Amino acid sequence: MKEGKSAKLNHQQQHQNGHLSPSKFAKLFDPEASWDKDQLGDVLHWIRQVIGLVCGLIWGAIPLVGGIWFILFLVLSTSFIYGYYAIVLKVDEEEFGGHGALLQEGLFASVTLFLLSWTLVYSLAHF
Amino acid sequence: MANPFSDFKYADGLTVVGISFCTAIVCEAISWILIYRTNSYKNLRSSIDKASKKLETMKTESNKINVKKSKTKKIDRVETSLKESSRDLSLFKFKSGGVVALVLFVVFGLLNSLFEGKVVAKLPFKPFGLVMKMSHRGLQGTDPTDCSMAFLYFLCSISIRTNLQKFLGFAPPRGASGGLFPMPDPKTS
Repeated sequence: MKEGKSAKLNHQQQHQNGHLSPSKFAKLFDPEASWDKDQLGDVLHWIRQVIGLVCGLIWGAIPLVGGIWFILFLVLSTSFIYGYYAIVLKVDEEEFGGHGALLQEGLFASVTLFLLSWTLVYSLAHF
Repeated sequence: MANPFSDFKYADGLTVVGISFCTAIVCEAISWILIYRTNSYKNLRSSIDKASKKLETMKTESNKINVKKSKTKKIDRVETSLKESSRDLSLFKFKSGGVVALVLFVVFGLLNSLFEGKVVAKLPFKPFGLVMKMSHRGLQGTDPTDCSMAFLYFLCSISIRTNLQKFLGFAPPRGASGGLFPMPDPKTS
């Protein structure tokens, strides 16, 4: 029984090694990679922050004005995150607490970061 | 030497952000000294992480097979232990978080005295309700897009501190935190 388990472990390791031992960056795009709940949560958090910051900077610079653009940011950010974990990573959301748990990772912080960057860039660049 | 930001009408916004950023670093440094480097915190954190992972595994297994009564009792026991550890962690942080709270109080008072009644930024949207009350706090006039220090400081506090805690690894463990809007660790802010 123990031999069977270690053989299986070796096989999995070989499979991973045979899958070219993906670097951390490559793992972000690898649907075969296995994810820990904390790891995936952290990745989704930081992706949200980058989207918030970039959207805020761009929309403040253009500028895009009005509450509708805030709604659009929410839709864009959420769609991106959903597309990433469901289509790129192909994770089973049930193993990570469901869609709600994954979609709310970093949401509030990214909203405030977006509002901050959008407001600052708009104020400094256009007045 | 001329201030490079003096040409900007809303340069005060940058000052608010700069002070918020420095405050966040100071607060996390204080928290590290009083909380994060202590053995009590490390032990509690470790037990919460272990209990969370164990609970997840047990719940996943119980979803797949018919659950015995003893298994359900075991899950309840782990859940109770997790809640107790989380409560202990909160209490521990609360006791040590008074210093940080004092720093934040002083900084907010300082910012208030510096920027009371001043428009520090222009909002690219029209707020309403509670957001409007915060964003227009202490300002003259009726332009809803005028932004007061309070709202900008609020945005800075949440965004900068949450991400700084995350970056430094001081964010509360997922097993102990939750909810739709996870705030930066309240006991240290």
